[in-house]
Amino acid sequence: MELAVAGKLFKRKTAVKSFKQCKEGRFNLTDADTNLPYTIKEINTDDQAVKDFLFTLGCYEGEMVTVISALAQNFVIHVKGARYSIDEDLARAIIL
Amino acid sequence: MRIALTGNPNSGKTTLFNAITGKIEHVGNWPGVTIAKKEGDIKKSLYRGKEIIRVVDLPGAYSISPFSSEESITRNFVLNEKPDVIINIVDTTNLSRSLFFTTQLLELGIPVVVALNKSDLLESRNIQINLDELSNRLGCPVVETSSTEGKGLAELLRAAADRSGDKQTAPFKSELFDLRDQESIEENDRERFVFVEKLVDEVENRAVASHKQTRQDAIDRIVANKVLGIPIFAAIIYVIFSLSQTYVGPLLADILVGWIDSLYEFAAGLLGSDLSPVLSSLFLDGIIGGVGAVMGFLPLIMVLFFLLALLEDSGYMARVAMVMDRYLKKVGLSGKSIIPMVIGTGCAIPGVMATRTIRDDRQRRTTAMLTPFMPCGAKLPIIALFAGVFFGDAAWVGTSMYFVAIGIIIVGALLVRKITRDSSSPAYFIMELPEYRLPSIKRALVSMFSRAKAFIVKAATIILVCNAAVHIMQTFNWSFQVVEEGMESTSILAGIAGPFALLFIPLGFGVWQLAAAAITGFIAKENVVGTLAVVYGITNFIDTEEFELISGAGDVATVMGLTSVAALAYLMFNLFTPPCFAAIGAMNAEMDSKKWLWAGIGFQFGVGYTVAYFVYQAGTLITTGSFGSGVIPGLVAILVFAAVIASLIRSKKQQSEKTIKEAV
Repeated sequence: MELAVAGKLFKRKTAVKSFKQCKEGRFNLTDADTNLPYTIKEINTDDQAVKDFLFTLGCYEGEMVTVISALAQNFVIHVKGARYSIDEDLARAIIL
Repeated sequence: MRIALTGNPNSGKTTLFNAITGKIEHVGNWPGVTIAKKEGDIKKSLYRGKEIIRVVDLPGAYSISPFSSEESITRNFVLNEKPDVIINIVDTTNLSRSLFFTTQLLELGIPVVVALNKSDLLESRNIQINLDELSNRLGCPVVETSSTEGKGLAELLRAAADRSGDKQTAPFKSELFDLRDQESIEENDRERFVFVEKLVDEVENRAVASHKQTRQDAIDRIVANKVLGIPIFAAIIYVIFSLSQTYVGPLLADILVGWIDSLYEFAAGLLGSDLSPVLSSLFLDGIIGGVGAVMGFLPLIMVLFFLLALLEDSGYMARVAMVMDRYLKKVGLSGKSIIPMVIGTGCAIPGVMATRTIRDDRQRRTTAMLTPFMPCGAKLPIIALFAGVFFGDAAWVGTSMYFVAIGIIIVGALLVRKITRDSSSPAYFIMELPEYRLPSIKRALVSMFSRAKAFIVKAATIILVCNAAVHIMQTFNWSFQVVEEGMESTSILAGIAGPFALLFIPLGFGVWQLAAAAITGFIAKENVVGTLAVVYGITNFIDTEEFELISGAGDVATVMGLTSVAALAYLMFNLFTPPCFAAIGAMNAEMDSKKWLWAGIGFQFGVGYTVAYFVYQAGTLITTGSFGSGVIPGLVAILVFAAVIASLIRSKKQQSEKTIKEAV
């Protein structure tokens, strides 16, 4: 029963996601190969606070990022000597 | 003199704080353990100066501009309260990020001492750091420390004490004055990173680049695996609870209860027969009996806290957040919501407080509202008592309570999401993954004993007073005469709890004794067991050298006069109603909204009532073939509750449709 309820709620979200994918059809972190250092081109999000936060971690345009593992809908990334877990939405916002 | 401890999350600030002050604040191996400032004085053995040095431990922050609310505590403290010296704790294995914050701290003009912490890891990582050069370039002393091994602490404190009153010059000075100009801030911070990068290049020598795959990454891929992630988490939780509730915990409880028995006997002998029976009964049955019944469960709680501390120390918590993120997102929560819930199995108060690291208001408030559904340590005695008395110690009772709690949390989160609708912007998930480490038995023991001490103090104060009050109210009637045998329902306690008992008839436990126990449970959940012991005189069973958990169980069940189904309903009612007052206070603080607080408490009452109702009525139907008493009035109450939620969902829906129309 819970699954059915979750499914209903989820439909709306998937629709939003596919729309976003069209809009952001650029090479982002979800397309990256693991273990290869990439240079960040842009952080593409309207959420300024998250952008600033990523900045303090050293995750901004011109810096290097490496995907360590891609796990289901999560990505383990390496930035400046530390590992972070980020979700797919955020990975999509990191344009390489 | 006052010293502030600052640094990135999970750099070991609280571990260092504990090491230099001798305090036992909560530590763990994931970012965001400390969510409030803590103060303490330095141990005399580490610093021989005359002055008393006060140390303030602050939540971790990546920079001076706060991201989540606990980071702003750090910023406000260093900016507004002007500590005499700042000790900046830097994770030695990650200079290139940590020194960003360091250069910001150096600009404040307050003298800084840098502690290069986790220096014990340098060798295994094959990293060399030129301390003198780093100190020169930063313009402040740099001391290598290892707070877990207690190295470099005295040296660090001496350096900090020496710097009091000094001026601090900044190696990197920001040249902007217009803080509103986003671009110039970014430009400035970019230069700051360039400065740090260059500095690190010069002072650090790394043999292995940190982005190379390690064994830790391989563990991550198993632990956070798409398929295995959830089963691994479930297995770990199962092991923790079955060890504390079914295996190791009760074994130790048996021994402890033996001691409490002897204490009871000893006290009874000491009091003799000279004392008035009312007083001696108050002392023996009210105080020793009631508190003893609660204390008997201490070993279960200690085992639970020990295992939770091991789990928190391992580095696994951040991975759980990662695994759960995609599931919790579907119900409108964040992966980080799982951490408060796991902590909440120990105690709901730190659990609710841990929601502070969740930045999105709606997610944070929902998590704070739902975390208390996880059965906490204080509810463990209730579970253990009922599992033992009514279900022959069946392990499924305890474990299933946690799964029911998870079910309630999922449904609750979905409902809240329906009512509030989520904001249009996605709430991103990002969390630093700390390194795994072998959990320290010593740290777990320290944590266990400090929490056991808190439990004993609580039992000896609040629980003791409550039990004494319950005993007195039960002994006297409204005209302050001793209630005669067989006339117990005329007592003050029966008078107060009686009206509430009427409400519980549809739930199968409409007697004043059980109502009284449930009510005292709001003061502290341990009271439920204590009050039951007092009102039913269950302590008498301890007399026969047999603890309820082990045997004599049938007798207790007879005394309470409950069917197994009603007992299960009562157990679940106590688990899933609002938590104790202290936890409600924590909810109030973290939600920061009266509307959310009252809605949360109302929801918790509604859930507790509904769950107990369905368990009792459906269970009674199955076991006896007919519904239990009060089926209609109870159903009416639940329909009202459902109607309130439905109308909230509908009004929100109309509201959002209206705004869409207006926008068009």
